[in-house]
Amino acid sequence: MVLEPPPAAAPPPPPVLRLRKLAAAAALPLGGRVGKTSLVLRYVNNVFSEKQEATVQASYLTKRVVAGGVPITLSIWDTAGQERFHALGPIYYRDADGMYLQSALLVYDITDSDTFVRVKKWVKELQQMASKDIVMAIAANKSDLVRSKKYDTQEAESYATSIGAKLFVTSAKFGTGIDEVFHEIATRLLQKKKDSTEGLLPAPPRKGIIIVDDEPEQKPPPRCCS
Amino acid sequence: MPTSILLAQKELQKINMYKAPRDKLVGILNCCKVINNLLINASIASNENPPGADEFLPVLIYVTIKANPPQLHSNLLYIQRYRRQSRLVSEAAYFFTNILSAESFIWNIDAQAVSMEEKEFLNKMESARAHLMGTSTSGEDQQTETNLDALEQRSGVLKANRELDNSVSVHGHHVPSQSYDANKDVNEKALTNMLSISDLEKKGAADLLEENTSKYFQDYPFLFANAGDLTIQDVHSLLNCYKKLVLKYVALSKGMGIHKESVPLSTESSSALQTVKEHEYLADLELKNGNAEVSKKNSYSTVDLILQMDEMESKKSIEGSNAETNE
Repeated sequence: MVLEPPPAAAPPPPPVLRLRKLAAAAALPLGGRVGKTSLVLRYVNNVFSEKQEATVQASYLTKRVVAGGVPITLSIWDTAGQERFHALGPIYYRDADGMYLQSALLVYDITDSDTFVRVKKWVKELQQMASKDIVMAIAANKSDLVRSKKYDTQEAESYATSIGAKLFVTSAKFGTGIDEVFHEIATRLLQKKKDSTEGLLPAPPRKGIIIVDDEPEQKPPPRCCS
Repeated sequence: MPTSILLAQKELQKINMYKAPRDKLVGILNCCKVINNLLINASIASNENPPGADEFLPVLIYVTIKANPPQLHSNLLYIQRYRRQSRLVSEAAYFFTNILSAESFIWNIDAQAVSMEEKEFLNKMESARAHLMGTSTSGEDQQTETNLDALEQRSGVLKANRELDNSVSVHGHHVPSQSYDANKDVNEKALTNMLSISDLEKKGAADLLEENTSKYFQDYPFLFANAGDLTIQDVHSLLNCYKKLVLKYVALSKGMGIHKESVPLSTESSSALQTVKEHEYLADLELKNGNAEVSKKNSYSTVDLILQMDEMESKKSIEGSNAETNE
């Protein structure tokens, strides 16, 4: 399952973190008909289903990876990319318990510049609505459809840099660039986690949450059993 | 395909029957699993990509509309608040987020969201509303028969009814006067013929059948409501309506000089003890289920609500004894 080998001289996991497994690091692919489902499936199951039998749903998938010597479980949430569902985005920015989405993978179709415009729209929205330090990465998918070096990623690349993200040219069909983009997300998530624990000890896990309700959270009734 | 859809709907409808947040959540997850299996089979059959959220969410929305699970909003808030946070993670969190988003979509539905012309959308909503007000009498069977738009509109109708009802209780005599008007000419004839109340009732019913019934029943917001649709706030106005009806009915029969006629509303009291209990149980259930939402809206504490319930119960029992003494 674990595809990424840990770096040769992997530093031991920082003892403060006690991280055997960092769960619930969510990556959220966005966009419609850009091959995000195929991309996630390729990453998790290493399949590309042009003619293959599909036996799994691809809306929620998990993958265990090792980043910087630390095992991480990525849980990958797929979102409906159709325009009519765009307004539902904020529901996915937060976990059910009010925690912010930690990272987003924005996927666009390299052969369709409109989808890149939509990526920009999403980035803007995420920057405004979601957590300030959300980890973002952009995947320019379907690179197999373009003959070598014909695609121009100059603009996309400089845009990605301007928002502090990295651009990856991917192909779900050939499996190129996909491990890299998820590895990047995992590494940066881990780094973020480290920073927050080193900054304030002990870092409250819910730092920076905004609870949707304006009412103070109710405690469950004391009778409630575990 | 329709059978799996029905199965998914059934799973979703179960959520109101359970009390524990975990059990409610399991109902939602089961529903999502059924949908996923359905989509996977469809994708294998058509040799297409495995289903992702692009396929899943629209089907979930469709299933939610068709299932029309009672008190969905309250139940979702309840799960959100009382399900152990450490358990509402990963897959459960994902599918729970999806049902939240399906609910939000249905709540904010407009012409654009369903790719329809504004006018067509409004027309369909209007006809659905009329359909709900007019023909649906009772029972779950009819709900499954009513069309999509009707179900979408259901919550809207209920809301509208509540507003209507509030205005009714403010203006006081509106409800009785309506019934009075409806029966006026019948009463006049009755005075000359000295028909019994049950005869009158039969005659009135026959007359009503010939006309457009929805016109008369529009002002009675609870007539087509199911027990599951009611909220705590409704109990107050429902009781008010009931009292007015009973007073009107008793006064009318008194005025006609009929004493020992079987009075369907008040003679219930002895046998009604059981149904009252049942209603109390339902209300009690609702208190627990809808607690989160209600307390949010009214900033009532649970204690306040329980006190209110007690008050209503005592009122009910007083009324019951009154009805008995009347006989």
